[in-house]
Amino acid sequence: MKRSQVCRDPGQSSYFKGPSNLLLPVNMPTLDAPEERRRKFKYRGKDVSLRRQQRMAVSLELRKAKKDEQTLKRRNITSFCPDTPSEKTAKGVAVSLTLGEIIKGVNSSDPVLCFQATQTARKMLSQEKNPPLKLVIEAGLIPRMVEFLKSSLYPCLQFEAAWALTNIASGTSEQTRAVVEGGAIQPLIELLSSSNVAVCEQAVWALGDGPEFRDNVITSNAIPHLLALISPTLPITFLRNITWTLSNLCRNKNPYPCDTAVKQILPALLHLLQHQDSEVLSDACWALSYLTDGSNKRIGQVVNTGVLPRLVVLMTSSELNVLTPSLRTVGNIVTGTDEQTQMAIDAGMLNVLPQLLQHNKPSIQKEAAWALSNVAAGPCHHIQQLLAYDVLPPLVALLKNGEFKVQKEAVWMVANFATGATMDQLIQLVHSGVLEPLVNLLTAPDVKIVLIILDVISCILQAAEKRSEKENLCLLIEELGGIDRIEALQLHENRQIGQSALNIIEKHFGEVSDLGAWRSIQGSWWGSSAEGHPAGAWAVACGR
Amino acid sequence: MELSDANLQTLTEYLKKTLDPDPAIRRPAEKFLESVEGNQNYPLLLLTLLEKSQDNVIKVCASVTFKNYIKRNWRIVEDEPNKICEADRVAIKANIVHLMLSSPEQIQKQLSDAISIIGREDFPQKWPDLLTEMVNRFQSGDFHVINGVLRTAHSLFKRYRHEFKSNELWTEIKLVLDAFALPLTNLFKATIELCSTHANDASALRILFSSLILISKLFYSLNFQDLPEFFEDNMETWMNNFHTLLTLDNKLLQTDDEEEAGLLELLKSQICDNAALYAQKYDEEFQRYLPRFVTAIWNLLVTTGQEVKYDLLVSNAIQFLASVCERPHYKNLFEDQNTLTSICEKVIVPNMEFRAADEEAFEDNSEEYIRRDLEGSDIDTRRRAACDLVRGLCKFFEGPVTGIFSGYVNSMLQEYAKNPSVNWKHKDAAIYLVTSLASKAQTQKHGITQANELVNLTEFFVNHILPDLKSANVNEFPVLKADGIKYIMIFRNQVPKEHLLVSIPLLINHLQAESIVVHTYAAHALERLFTMRGPNNATLFTAAEIAPFVEILLTNLFKALTLPGSSENEYIMKAIMRSFSLLQEAIIPYIPTLITQLTQKLLAVSKNPSKPHFNHYMFEAICLSIRITCKANPAAVVNFEEALFLVFTEILQNDVQEFIPYVFQVMSLLLETHKNDIPSSYMALFPHLLQPVLWERTGNIPALPGLLGVFQKLIASKANDHQGFYLLNSIIEHMPPESVDQYRKQIFILLFQRLQNSKTTKFIKSFLVFINLYCIKYGALALQEIFDGIQPKMFGMVLEKIIIPEIQKVSGNVEKKICAVGITKLLTECPPMMDTEYTKLWTPLLQSLIGLFELPEDDTIPDEEHFIDIEDTPGYQTAFSQLAFAGKKEHDPVGQMVNNPKIHLAQSLHKLSTACPGRVPSMVSTSLNAEALQYLQGYLQAASVTLL
Repeated sequence: MKRSQVCRDPGQSSYFKGPSNLLLPVNMPTLDAPEERRRKFKYRGKDVSLRRQQRMAVSLELRKAKKDEQTLKRRNITSFCPDTPSEKTAKGVAVSLTLGEIIKGVNSSDPVLCFQATQTARKMLSQEKNPPLKLVIEAGLIPRMVEFLKSSLYPCLQFEAAWALTNIASGTSEQTRAVVEGGAIQPLIELLSSSNVAVCEQAVWALGDGPEFRDNVITSNAIPHLLALISPTLPITFLRNITWTLSNLCRNKNPYPCDTAVKQILPALLHLLQHQDSEVLSDACWALSYLTDGSNKRIGQVVNTGVLPRLVVLMTSSELNVLTPSLRTVGNIVTGTDEQTQMAIDAGMLNVLPQLLQHNKPSIQKEAAWALSNVAAGPCHHIQQLLAYDVLPPLVALLKNGEFKVQKEAVWMVANFATGATMDQLIQLVHSGVLEPLVNLLTAPDVKIVLIILDVISCILQAAEKRSEKENLCLLIEELGGIDRIEALQLHENRQIGQSALNIIEKHFGEVSDLGAWRSIQGSWWGSSAEGHPAGAWAVACGR
Repeated sequence: MELSDANLQTLTEYLKKTLDPDPAIRRPAEKFLESVEGNQNYPLLLLTLLEKSQDNVIKVCASVTFKNYIKRNWRIVEDEPNKICEADRVAIKANIVHLMLSSPEQIQKQLSDAISIIGREDFPQKWPDLLTEMVNRFQSGDFHVINGVLRTAHSLFKRYRHEFKSNELWTEIKLVLDAFALPLTNLFKATIELCSTHANDASALRILFSSLILISKLFYSLNFQDLPEFFEDNMETWMNNFHTLLTLDNKLLQTDDEEEAGLLELLKSQICDNAALYAQKYDEEFQRYLPRFVTAIWNLLVTTGQEVKYDLLVSNAIQFLASVCERPHYKNLFEDQNTLTSICEKVIVPNMEFRAADEEAFEDNSEEYIRRDLEGSDIDTRRRAACDLVRGLCKFFEGPVTGIFSGYVNSMLQEYAKNPSVNWKHKDAAIYLVTSLASKAQTQKHGITQANELVNLTEFFVNHILPDLKSANVNEFPVLKADGIKYIMIFRNQVPKEHLLVSIPLLINHLQAESIVVHTYAAHALERLFTMRGPNNATLFTAAEIAPFVEILLTNLFKALTLPGSSENEYIMKAIMRSFSLLQEAIIPYIPTLITQLTQKLLAVSKNPSKPHFNHYMFEAICLSIRITCKANPAAVVNFEEALFLVFTEILQNDVQEFIPYVFQVMSLLLETHKNDIPSSYMALFPHLLQPVLWERTGNIPALPGLLGVFQKLIASKANDHQGFYLLNSIIEHMPPESVDQYRKQIFILLFQRLQNSKTTKFIKSFLVFINLYCIKYGALALQEIFDGIQPKMFGMVLEKIIIPEIQKVSGNVEKKICAVGITKLLTECPPMMDTEYTKLWTPLLQSLIGLFELPEDDTIPDEEHFIDIEDTPGYQTAFSQLAFAGKKEHDPVGQMVNNPKIHLAQSLHKLSTACPGRVPSMVSTSLNAEALQYLQGYLQAASVTLL
């Protein structure tokens, strides 16, 4: 029924807070440049602000658009109210006009002919397959239909015209433009005040179909009119249409909808969020997800309305169309400041997320892991919260058996965790059994993930070194088959991976450690290995 | 340079000369070409020649020269001039694709390489029509041309497999997908159709299959970063065809070659990779195709032979199954008992068989065999893949799989028992199967650390491993012997100690086996067993338990070194070292023989040291014998010196660089053992190190053949200077002063030269320790005299420029103590400090000494040295040459002489002040800073003395 045209995939757009210290190039697409890495290296562990940066959108997609996103445009192909006045009038009249006849009819001065022609056009545009959008536009029908919108004496005609225009606008961007440039917006907004419910509802729908021309709609002052329609007695389908249209007015960044619009819409969204209907909830959540998909200031606008507890409740919904956008919104919020993240934690998000990691839909597991990865990118008391809510066991399970796209998010989560963790937290991470799946993923066909895992392993080894537990950790990694894999990666065609693997092998698994504790002998007395070796010590204890 | 016939002619002449075997002709021609390559039209002349020359050799030569020219010059480096003029660039890009495609294969390859080099720089922005030009050629129907395009595309796109995601990269991929994906898909379909219409034409098929391989590779590259929309929409087409190709066979494509993979194998292998990529990354979309691929790949495995040419295909195919079977939602594809049995029977067992190629390696290339089998460099082998599949299946089906394999193991062992000499390979497979089934995790240090509890390892050991090792003939069934020994080695932590103890004499016996693998494994197993730890962290086996076998163990170990192929076998030498260490005093009776054998070995390998590990263990063994023997009988040190110094002299004389650090350490160990007088043998060595005649040739260090050169080299090297100081310090501490007298001055000159040429923090630290030790041993006056003897007022300069400002950098307790005592001597026992121009340095020196006591160590390193450090990081040889057994507890040459350096300072100052009353308090009170003064007063109080 619906045509889905979706613009973004959650895995790619504006996501991670930069897990800065691990040198994970996450902030901008150019991060792989050597200068950038060096800069990050220099600030390793020092520059707190880097940890909080958001990953800029790689707006490019190779993938097919996602199916579980919200509908961007909808064409009205159902006769949703069979007893509309127009249908009655048309009853018994066999409408089968050619395009030529339609053109003629539309351009006639007889309202009846106009109606018949418009209705026929509308029916053509509503057929399920290959509606002749292009033909109708090229026939120059739009300007006349826009005029019909204004013929308040004939609500049936207004209705048919609005419907036809809705379906044209649901086409390509160019087709939508034709409707906008035909001057449809203003008369449609006026129809929002029509006393005829069907006409009014169709106008709402039509206005929602032009997300590319969102700002034209907003500056034409549509929002107050839309909000005025919301009332407890409104039929549910109508309320759904309004919510959907409002969500489209919140949609898209570059640029974002203006501040005034956001301020106008937010209270209405909060109100709608209390509704019981899942479609209304879904679109209201989608609207919030668009509004939170941006700077900390925008996130702040939403968070400060106190919406978080309700969102967390909605995250427990059994309806996928509610769960997905509410989870997305909370996920967006935790890309914000530490304080904003803290508010999400206080609202109870961590009660819900571990369950969502075990959801049967991989797309939900993925979003949940993503949200957690951004909590892990915060200060260590946030990491402590993750441990308190026992996030690690389901996460490790996903690392082991999740779909690859889920595993990827989980790896990011571990990377962020490892970067910001205290020594004790790091130890808990290792004890959670995270190394086994990480080592297995070293052969994954994804260079970035491989590099991140190498960085995590290196980070953990360094920590172990400080606590003189390196030997045990090295043995564990060897048992897991890690040495073989890291050794093989030394020959990887990606230079960074090769170098990173080489560094780990040299520093932690090199034969040097095999053959006695070689240490820097700068200026030491005998310059020999004398010190530190109890007589008869087994320097050659673990030779290969 | 014009595009003229004359120039073409000249270029032809020079190209011809570059092929001349005589360097006198070749080199100038190469130089000439390099000198003219900056001229406009040069590359175009080359392109003209490779297209139009009458001489085929010149064509090829021109194409190679052209490719190298592009490689060197095409990239535009920032801040460097553009090396190819714009007009030439445009002309090259306009012509090269056409030229490549119309050239014979030899030239096509060169031009294809050149295109990818250019493409790496210019594609897509600066070469927008490249793709269209390539795609248009798909229409040509000429597969020679099409393969040229595909090859070029592959070299342009393969980087998508290993580069990080970025906007730039994805923009390029998107562009490529838009232009290339559909034509590639059409070409794929058309090629497959042609394969069936030409099913009986071998030469056509070969070309078509080369295309299919390239197309499959391109598929992999284009799908690597993410699943492109186009390929998702066309998955049906691609996967159905891939599936068909996997199951396809055509006699005409089968090759006779046993080693080299044929086109069919290469194609199927790539398809396995493609399927594995989708299965792992795009599981959701690929799910509905996966079961079919599992079946196809499994059938493929069942029908593929044992020849080496199938290895890559088989290991890729098995790895595919291994990665799928451990995913929970595909569990159901495998869980049927019949399926499991069939996988075990038809896929795993056959691929664990010991093949002719393995047998060959076992006998003729044992080093490689050992590395693969013991050290795990077997990643791409069939056996490894089969093991991985066993491990993968055990994730969900450990019980059933163990059950199935137990049956197999038993039947294979029965086969073996029927006729061992014919069926020994069955037993090999049985042992391998048990090993792979039982081992869940493994490390070099401990062997297997987690075992499958369903396998009774001890029972198998007793019933099937021990009997083989007990057989009288150590040379019978060498592969089985090696298997048995390896079993002991890796399951050493699972098999109870009493069984291990039983196997020790058997292992010792197998040191005599002729097979390199067998005696190497025996040595390695003994070494591993001897390192095992029991309760209380003591060795699991005590010297007493091994005592009954000492003689035979040592004899066999050294005999094994004389077996063909094992003269520098590091496993054996390591076992020798380990045995010494475990047995301790028990080896003393055999020392005379042992040390003779070790010195002979040392002499032999010093001619051409090639096995660093072997050498290291050998020196460790030497150190151990010295330590063990001299601990019981210090006088025995003389015997070692007698035995070793001849070889050492030779090593020093021949400047065997790899060994010199070892020699110094052994000498130090020996010197340390001497309590009193130094034997004449050192005197004999010493002049070698300090021959005066060599001092004069300081400028020519690397060519200096003598011993001093070595010492000089050490001092001159930023990485190795500590070795030089180490030698000097030994000499100063242990030699009677008279013996060193005549060389002293030269030593200091050498040190100053280094100080002048390259002063590093590390050198300064060592230098400070050295001169203070010198001061302690020979007196403060002697130090002042030697400096001033080199050059007047030198002593003052050293004080002012080095000691006072740098002393803070000295690190290490012993080092600091030496410096403290030395400086105290300078302050209180050196008359020129009191009444010459040096007097003005007295207080600053005292102040810096108090600083050494009280201030934190100065560990700053000048900026420029950070990178010097990296440059001069000790290389392999030095890094490995630290002998653990030469080591000793912290050695303090000042020792009991001074207990507390602060008190010692106070007492010495007091003594000085009694000698010249009034001087000391006035020097102290006038220019020492307040804080230092306070500390000093503290020392005086603690020592209960006052300054007069």
